[in-house]
Amino acid sequence: MKEHLTECSDDALKRLLQEVPNQEADIVVIGHVEHCVHCQSRLYDLAATSRDWNAAKASLSSFDSLEYSREEKRYLAHAENPGETRDEKSWMEEFTRQWLQPPRHPELLGRIGRFDVERWIGSGGMGVVYKAFDTELNRPVAIKILAPYLAGIGAARQRFGREARAAAAIVHEHVVAIHNVESNSESPYLVMQYVAGESLQQRLDRTGALELCELLRIAKQTAAGLVAAHAQGLVHRDVKPSNILLEEGIERALLTDFGLARAADDASLTHTGYHPGTPEFMSPEQARGEAVDVRSDLFSLGSVMYAMCTGRSPFRAESSYGVLRKITDAEPIAIRELNPSIPEWLALLVQKLHAKQPADRWNTASEVHDLLEGCLAHVQNPTSVELPQTLQPSPRRGWWQRMRRDSSGTRKAMENSQWQTLYFMVGCMVVVGGVTELVMLAPTVDRAKPSRANSAIDDAAKEEVEGGNSENRVMNVTPERVAAEKSWLDWDWGDAELRAIESSSVELGNEAQKWDSEPRGN
Amino acid sequence: MRLKDAADASAWTEVLAIYGPLVFRMAQRQGLQGHDADDVVQEVFSAVSRSIHTWLDQDHRGKFRHWLLGITKRISINALLRRPLASVGAGGSGAENLLRSIPEKEREVLEQVELEYQREVYRWASLKVREQVNEVTWQAFYLTHVEGLESDLVAKQLGITKGNVYVARSRVMNRMREIVKRFEVQP
Repeated sequence: MKEHLTECSDDALKRLLQEVPNQEADIVVIGHVEHCVHCQSRLYDLAATSRDWNAAKASLSSFDSLEYSREEKRYLAHAENPGETRDEKSWMEEFTRQWLQPPRHPELLGRIGRFDVERWIGSGGMGVVYKAFDTELNRPVAIKILAPYLAGIGAARQRFGREARAAAAIVHEHVVAIHNVESNSESPYLVMQYVAGESLQQRLDRTGALELCELLRIAKQTAAGLVAAHAQGLVHRDVKPSNILLEEGIERALLTDFGLARAADDASLTHTGYHPGTPEFMSPEQARGEAVDVRSDLFSLGSVMYAMCTGRSPFRAESSYGVLRKITDAEPIAIRELNPSIPEWLALLVQKLHAKQPADRWNTASEVHDLLEGCLAHVQNPTSVELPQTLQPSPRRGWWQRMRRDSSGTRKAMENSQWQTLYFMVGCMVVVGGVTELVMLAPTVDRAKPSRANSAIDDAAKEEVEGGNSENRVMNVTPERVAAEKSWLDWDWGDAELRAIESSSVELGNEAQKWDSEPRGN
Repeated sequence: MRLKDAADASAWTEVLAIYGPLVFRMAQRQGLQGHDADDVVQEVFSAVSRSIHTWLDQDHRGKFRHWLLGITKRISINALLRRPLASVGAGGSGAENLLRSIPEKEREVLEQVELEYQREVYRWASLKVREQVNEVTWQAFYLTHVEGLESDLVAKQLGITKGNVYVARSRVMNRMREIVKRFEVQP
């Protein structure tokens, strides 16, 4: 291996900037840059124009802290992750007053149609939800109004109406009922059953992991809701704790927000790859932007169950992109590692729901529902009711035994290659200094990773195992995929995406120029 | 929902993220306190949602994001102008001076908005980049380029070679530029 590149090469510098993974070549080029003043300045020029460099310096040095302040965070939180803070509530309500019809009573926010809007409940991907009162039928309702900025977009209105009609067809005790759809008014809205209580998300935030009986009951009821939806040909596509409401008192679980649900035969809408909101509970096929069927909801149900078992969602990362990669590539931390009180059969049940290949999960929600029902009966009365047969640890039958063997085999293989990689890395270090630095320059998906030199070696070894081959395997970049990634605010750049996006933003740049030269009429 | 619309919807979030703090802080700097500053932010965003239909009816409307930038810029400028103008009603020569100085003031404000906008875009971009790269990589950029420290010193401090400092610095800048160029920053 050559220690230094002897000739200056712009192409080599460009490859460095584009972060094309090629560690050996990188070491050589970086070694060259270390000593070559010419290449130091070329690298500077290739990264950005001096105007950009100066703008970055002037802008960033003017902040005492680059982090957002508390007040500023409110807008960010509102934009990225509509939460339920008191501040945001009052802000949202004030905002609402400005476009509702004036209220009949000073304590109300306003009116829409025959409904008196009382208070803001929450904001979702496409709309804002309020508690309201139906003045003709004299009952409380929840109203979901299509977000004003979407109301003018024809496709969004149509989709909103279509969803609402599809969801309205589901009448089931574990699905929030749709009473009415108003899609012709200036702001389309739908009127739903008002459920007093909290969402499963709020419950998990409040109490952490749930007790076994309760979590089985909620899982079973959610599965029942899915059975009803699937029977109408609807895939929910957004099963997550914040979309499962727990009725106050009796704690009945109700599935809501078919915000992403689409009739399965609605081909025109299935491939857009647009997923507002958190991707944490998505299925691998959703994450890849592929067509989904009812088994996708089963994967998400698995994630919800995981969250109920452990108090945290299974696939977590700093960015949406990181989450997606974990969903498609990684196994979550074993449930029983986080909560040893969960029985093994339940951990394995969730593991089967979490199979990356839809074919390796169950085929229908009703199978899962029946199984959960059996589990619940067993837990409630262990002496007289047996655990469902398929879950019993018998070596003859039962997928779970096989599964356990498989997974331990995989783990062993992984450990082996991890060690090999580590030896290889250490070997490299002896030959050439600077590997550690190089490793630190490698883009990381997970910011939380420790960044000191020593642990960087471990990270690199892990990266080699987890990410090394997946880099090519997983990231098949389609235009839809790139666009989907662009549509999330906090996506990370893999190398391939970076290049793909680079070429697409050229077009954006041109449009920007065009816009600038037009006189603005507003 | 078509791709273009999907991208537009996310643009809204992005613009809110960048303009929210921007509008809020500019209002504050003009002497508006908590609630008043909040009002400005609300006014901006509700105006945006009110006039979206008009905008959508235009044939050559350009990109959603670009339109949002325009309307937000205008309203924040108006909000900034409103305060000095409010005292005009008091009459007297002070008010007259104020009136005379308006064109001047407006240009100043426009420049200020552009500058503030650029600052916020870079700040946003810097936070996004920090999510993507290793902290050492980020520090190599920040310490050498923003704080202006010698690269030798930074290399020693971070425990990496000088060559790596140069590469890290340029990689961060390159990524940041990629993000920034989606916005209309004109230094």
